[in-house]
Amino acid sequence: MDATMYLAENVLNERRTVTYRSLSRALKVHAHQAKQILFEFHRNENAKKPQSVRATYIISGIQKHAEPPTTNGHANDEDEIMQSSPYLPSSMPNQDAASDTVRLSSIILARDEDLEDAKATFQSISTIHVYSVQPSTLPDLNALTDVCRETTTAYAQDDPLECGKQWGMIQNRNVKRRNGARPPLPAAPVSNAKPESTVPSKRPFQREKSESQPEDSKPASDSQSSAKSTGKPAAPKREKSNLFSSFAKAKPPKPKPAESATPSGNDVMLDDASEEEQEELFPDNGDKAPSANRESKKDREEKLKKMMEDDDADGAPTRAHSGGATPTTPAKPAELKEEVTVQGGRRRGKRQVMKKRTVKDEEGYLVTREEATWESCSEDEPAPPKKKPAVNVARGKGGKPGGQGSIMSFFGKK
Amino acid sequence: MATTEDYGFLRPPSNDEYEPVYRNPSSYHPLHTFRLPMGSDRHYQQQYGDMYFLRLARLKPAVEQVATAAWGELTIAGEHARRVDRVLDVRQGELCWMTGTVYMDMPLKPNILDDLTKENFTSAPPPRRTYADPSDPSATQIMMEDESGRVLLTGNLLSSTQLATGAIIAALGTETSNGEFEVIDIKVPDLARQPQRWERGEAASADSKKDDKEASNGQGKIAFVSGLGITGSSSDTLALELLTDYLLGYTGIDGSEDASKITRLIIAGNSLGASVTAEAASAGTDNAAKKKLAPKKYGYDASAYNSSPITQLDNFLAEILPSIPVTLMPGEQDPANVSLPQQGIHRAMLPRARAYCAPPPSGDNKEEDVGWFDSVTNPWEGDVEGWRLWGCSGQNVDDVLRYLDFPADDSGPSIERDDSEARLRIMEAMLRWRCSVPTAPDTIWSYPFQTVDPFVLETCPHIFFTGNQPSFKTTVIEAVVPPRLDGDTDMTDSAGESSATSVRLLSIPKFRDTGELILVDTESLEVEVIRFGTFAGQEEKK
Repeated sequence: MDATMYLAENVLNERRTVTYRSLSRALKVHAHQAKQILFEFHRNENAKKPQSVRATYIISGIQKHAEPPTTNGHANDEDEIMQSSPYLPSSMPNQDAASDTVRLSSIILARDEDLEDAKATFQSISTIHVYSVQPSTLPDLNALTDVCRETTTAYAQDDPLECGKQWGMIQNRNVKRRNGARPPLPAAPVSNAKPESTVPSKRPFQREKSESQPEDSKPASDSQSSAKSTGKPAAPKREKSNLFSSFAKAKPPKPKPAESATPSGNDVMLDDASEEEQEELFPDNGDKAPSANRESKKDREEKLKKMMEDDDADGAPTRAHSGGATPTTPAKPAELKEEVTVQGGRRRGKRQVMKKRTVKDEEGYLVTREEATWESCSEDEPAPPKKKPAVNVARGKGGKPGGQGSIMSFFGKK
Repeated sequence: MATTEDYGFLRPPSNDEYEPVYRNPSSYHPLHTFRLPMGSDRHYQQQYGDMYFLRLARLKPAVEQVATAAWGELTIAGEHARRVDRVLDVRQGELCWMTGTVYMDMPLKPNILDDLTKENFTSAPPPRRTYADPSDPSATQIMMEDESGRVLLTGNLLSSTQLATGAIIAALGTETSNGEFEVIDIKVPDLARQPQRWERGEAASADSKKDDKEASNGQGKIAFVSGLGITGSSSDTLALELLTDYLLGYTGIDGSEDASKITRLIIAGNSLGASVTAEAASAGTDNAAKKKLAPKKYGYDASAYNSSPITQLDNFLAEILPSIPVTLMPGEQDPANVSLPQQGIHRAMLPRARAYCAPPPSGDNKEEDVGWFDSVTNPWEGDVEGWRLWGCSGQNVDDVLRYLDFPADDSGPSIERDDSEARLRIMEAMLRWRCSVPTAPDTIWSYPFQTVDPFVLETCPHIFFTGNQPSFKTTVIEAVVPPRLDGDTDMTDSAGESSATSVRLLSIPKFRDTGELILVDTESLEVEVIRFGTFAGQEEKK
């Protein structure tokens, strides 16, 4: 891009501050040349219209002995004659205690309006160059810090080892950088969290960044389609669907019509986990199983989703039937569910497992129930074998353990 | 705008080809004196007393040698100065000298026993300017201690001599009628043996030494900076950006040639701003009650932890590392352990700069590579360009300063007095005590070393630097010429290598306050300062 165009666009139109380093990086020119471009631009624009563009300058050289105003100074007492110090231990004669006079050079940043004043503080000036141009005078020079930081973030993908020469950086022949992963880029915008971001190689990312706009919506649909492909549970593919499901989960749950042909990742998971169980679970449940079998798959999906949401909402692992009147405790269909999140390459998640729990009811009977609880798991450990359907075994003598058990189970639920 | 001179840059762009500038290579051999054992080998159950015994055992011979040379033949009023082995063997009224560890009891010194009895040991004691009570100077007691016991020291000499807990000295005097030891004279171990330049390269391999020497022929400079104080906010000084530009050669005093001579940057602590940890600490104590109410959160909590300072530090390092090797020491404000020796800032906190680290040590590979970016301990010692460097981020000097007796005619406690001269004296005293952190473990938190006291200076460095000081100071000290029996003190150069010992002391200012970068020439050890700043012009005056 033409330098003048770039500057006109950024400084005059966008009213941004351009430093010689951001210019050098943007146009891939030598820093020294960038300084000259800025100077030229500043001069030309102000010739057209005075004060339309302001600049800051770097002055380097040796300052007069006066203290520069901004360094909260300490008396520049290098030359001060040392008084006999009370701190000197007598056993420590100091042969050369007087501090040496030390050459003090300064590199000072000044606004264009202060340039002459600033120059006056120098005893000898070795160089002056433009540091930045901006449309108006900067009230606070520290604002330039932000420009510098933006620059480093914006051009972070340029490898300094390759581009340094172009920018005019001092080269080092001996630099040792570990090969392998390139240093991670400064946090990319979180909005386009893509599954690809887990890929260790950063090279393609750089390309993506420029194309990120059109691609934004793509990953989601990608994940959905691939999730769909794993709709029928197949063990090896499971991991993949989990991975995507975790991304899908990050999004707010979309109210999905039951007819939707593409189940979201979660539904896939549920489906996957629950289908077989339901078949073997429901026979125990006298009144429910036939209807469940009759239910269409979609209805089941919807119900399971609802169930899932309920679970998530109140944290209770299962829903209990409040059938206080039924003499036998209704065996609850227990789903083994998994929620998986991907953290730093390791998959963590929780899964619902059946645990035996023994409670003593008010009459002193021991009631053992199987309850679904959540436990954390990682991908490495194999999923525990799926338990047999939850059957309440009311152990104890006496006539009516069941009824009391069911009440207990209702209140005992957490 | 018509300028008479264009300085090369105040002119229209030219199509000049700029020759690439190459930085001089750096010869760098760090020592791992202060590296603590890893993991389960690091124990904190030991007694601190062992450190004092180790120190005394190590330094006693050195002091006694000096003292014997000075007092061996000494006779006062017909009485021969007798050497006493243990401080409790001193006889009343008898002229003698003895060796031991100084212990100073000061009214405001934090006392772990007091803290325990008052049960206020849970939080760190508030930092004090001095441990002495200015209203009652006599409350300060100086004692000498060895394996056998303690004896109280008195005498006019002590009021003019500054000592600190942990220093090993020899004292000449007599015991008075009330059991105190009246000191007439004091001797210290004085500077340790100083290695020759390039000494360690020789030990490693003759080839590498030769390479190093050849590589760094010609002029080079070592850059020191401390107290970058990055807070991550936009109120950070622009000076850091100017420093980056300078180190990378974009902005130079005489083009980029002068910056290209800088072979290494040493960052001596406190790279992060005070607000980061100070706020957290104050929040921990003041709002303890408030915090209890808040639900407990584990892991990353963006509301309680601000990652921006360390990110900015990482960016700064990643920016300069392609061009210049960096040695990073932690300081008291940095995310490292508090007790000395602080271990290096973990590379995981610097994800971008990490690529320039040495590869992580693999189990069987004992021969560790030195990283281009080296996150080292504090204190740290090592060889740079053949010179032995010893540096600390400033805790050692700050703490010894608290032991010093400020003159009564001081300008008042509110005004920050210029104690930079005193700080330089302390640094010198440390070298002469051969003890770099004398007040550890008494008033500086320290790892309880069992087998070796690394704070004893076994060898005398060529450059002894301290970071985070209020202002820049430098001086050169030389070893005391040992009094020769033949009275020939002029021929110092022929007296052996110890007489040639000279040390460059550097008190490195806080960059955040002063904007100063210290450059040390690798041939002459001459020092120069580059100051980065902004010119406060009309805008600030409004």
